[in-house]
Amino acid sequence: MRTIILATAIRLLIPVFQIFSVYILFRGHNHPGGGFIGGLIGSIGFIFYVMTYGTKHTLKNYFRVHLKNDKVADLHSRARHRFHIARVNSRYRQRVEDEWKWEHRIMRIRPVYIIATGLFLAATSGLIGLFSGNPYMTAIWTGLEIPIVGKPGTTLLFDAGVYLLVFGIVLKITFVMAEE
Amino acid sequence: MLQLHHLLLLLPLLLPLYGAIFCLFSWNRVNLQMAIACVIQLAMVVASGALLYAVNHEGILVTQLGNWPAPFGITLVADLFSALMVVTASITGAAVVLFSLRGLDLPRQDYGYYPLILMLQMGVAGVCLTGDLFNLFVWFEVLLICCFVMITLGGTKPQLEGAIKYVTINILASGLLLTGIGVVYGITGSLNMAELAMLVRMPSINKSLFLMASTFFIVSLGIKAALFPLFFWLPASYHTPPIAISSFIGGLLTKVGIYAMIRLFTLIFVVEQELILAFFTITAGFTMVIGVLGAAAHYDFRKILSFHIVSQIGYMLMGLAIFTTLSIAGTILFIVHNVFVKTNLFLVSGVVGRLKGSFDLKKLGSQYLQRPFLALLFLISALALAGLPPLSGFWPKFILVKAGLEAEQYTIVGVSLCVSIITLFSMTKIWNEVFWKKQPETDETEPDADRLTKALLYAPIIFLALCILYIGLNAEAAIGLAYRAAEQVLNTDLYINAVLNR
Repeated sequence: MRTIILATAIRLLIPVFQIFSVYILFRGHNHPGGGFIGGLIGSIGFIFYVMTYGTKHTLKNYFRVHLKNDKVADLHSRARHRFHIARVNSRYRQRVEDEWKWEHRIMRIRPVYIIATGLFLAATSGLIGLFSGNPYMTAIWTGLEIPIVGKPGTTLLFDAGVYLLVFGIVLKITFVMAEE
Repeated sequence: MLQLHHLLLLLPLLLPLYGAIFCLFSWNRVNLQMAIACVIQLAMVVASGALLYAVNHEGILVTQLGNWPAPFGITLVADLFSALMVVTASITGAAVVLFSLRGLDLPRQDYGYYPLILMLQMGVAGVCLTGDLFNLFVWFEVLLICCFVMITLGGTKPQLEGAIKYVTINILASGLLLTGIGVVYGITGSLNMAELAMLVRMPSINKSLFLMASTFFIVSLGIKAALFPLFFWLPASYHTPPIAISSFIGGLLTKVGIYAMIRLFTLIFVVEQELILAFFTITAGFTMVIGVLGAAAHYDFRKILSFHIVSQIGYMLMGLAIFTTLSIAGTILFIVHNVFVKTNLFLVSGVVGRLKGSFDLKKLGSQYLQRPFLALLFLISALALAGLPPLSGFWPKFILVKAGLEAEQYTIVGVSLCVSIITLFSMTKIWNEVFWKKQPETDETEPDADRLTKALLYAPIIFLALCILYIGLNAEAAIGLAYRAAEQVLNTDLYINAVLNR
């Protein structure tokens, strides 16, 4: 199903969907919205992307992180070496000089990892209440008032976990279905 | 700071959840998942033991999730019965995970077995600890979805065939359970089990309507616990997955259904109780007889054991049907004993199947000659299942019979005694065929196993056999614990006061 209109539009629409889904996530505490619907909206863009470009292309473009690793270790300071590597990696898609020095590694972001992160966030948000002497899942609020985000607290952490969980599961289902 | 009872009630749920999360993070690294699952299961045994200790010393423990007060939020409650169930489940889980390190093939382990079994463990603990009717349903779903995946894990043809029956009937059961919960909510306006227990004892309750609601629960929990007219899905599906999976599912899940029945039908559905109990008595008798007859007719190791699950469920329901403190104590002890014994028998069949490559009684033989120690382990579990005196099966059956005689329910007592004899007969059949008779000539070569594999296959069986012996030989402590648990179950005021904090 590859039409040029959809193929062009979806590349521009993915960030729109993402931003809107995060807005829905933040809105969720007092208005309709929240983690579940946010995760669904966030994954819509990727569903269309898979439909037009296929699973392989999607995985390559969005779910792979290219890391560069300096083969020649800095013998003076390990911390400086790490910092150096981090600085090089943070320059997105830029050519670095001395290409031969760098070892390329590809890290795959599997949907399973996103699911696990979501579960972890959601479960851990409850622990904060537990370790402050209240029952599990007691909401702890920071008391700040930030525009768009609202009042952050442990419930927001929980909702973010749900967001990632739903996002990851929909992606996994999409990839499996697209392959068949 | 951190309050201990909040933590104790949460640990049986949080430990497997975090274990599953870490297993997901180490996707495709089976060895790491194995290590995580083992550590978590051991921690579960310790945590649930601590919970049982705390409940035994301090009475019913309660925590209100999210700090919402009782009828509005979701409550977690642990009384002696639920703590005992959690302990039993975690010990069984530890044994099964240990067994599956070598007893399950690598592709299945690789495809998410460990996160699933941990989630299943969490579901079981959740059903036992929850104090909210809808939450009970949710935990049942957690547990069933893990089961669906585990039964189909690997995707062989007989597995899928069994899974279709299992999934269809269990979705139906869940639908009925949800409908029942909806009806109860419609009648009373509450889902908190303690508040429900208080409301149904008020004179203003609409009795006929509430009896109608309880039929939904009888049918749906009856399907999950595999009672007489509704049990047929169980023998059709439990023998299909590999032993490591079917031992856990077969050993534990139907008992969780029975747990839910006992909890709900002592606490909430006490309206028109004579009618319900009479129905339970008849069902219990038929469940025992049909199950054991089915077992007597079969010649596959795993199918025999599957039918015995059904038969043993009858005994547990019998205790509920007689409805005295003694009989409920018998049921509680029976559940604990039966989970260990049934899991252990499945594991023994797994070892035989792994080392000989078959589950068909007609193809097996000479195991007593080749593996006398395994034969001893089998004998302990088999005789315990049949209920011979020094072993763990004798005491709960003795208590049930005594309770039945005291309540003057002679028919069901007679039936249960006869069924015991047939159980012994079908265990003898396995003994004769697998261990005693001469190995029939086959041209199949036996799959070989190294030393570590054998050690890891035997360790959980020895462990469970020790548990069985412990219950059998230290019966006074076990019976005392079960009796106090039964007193707590029947004295509903304790539960209501603990939850509603009056």
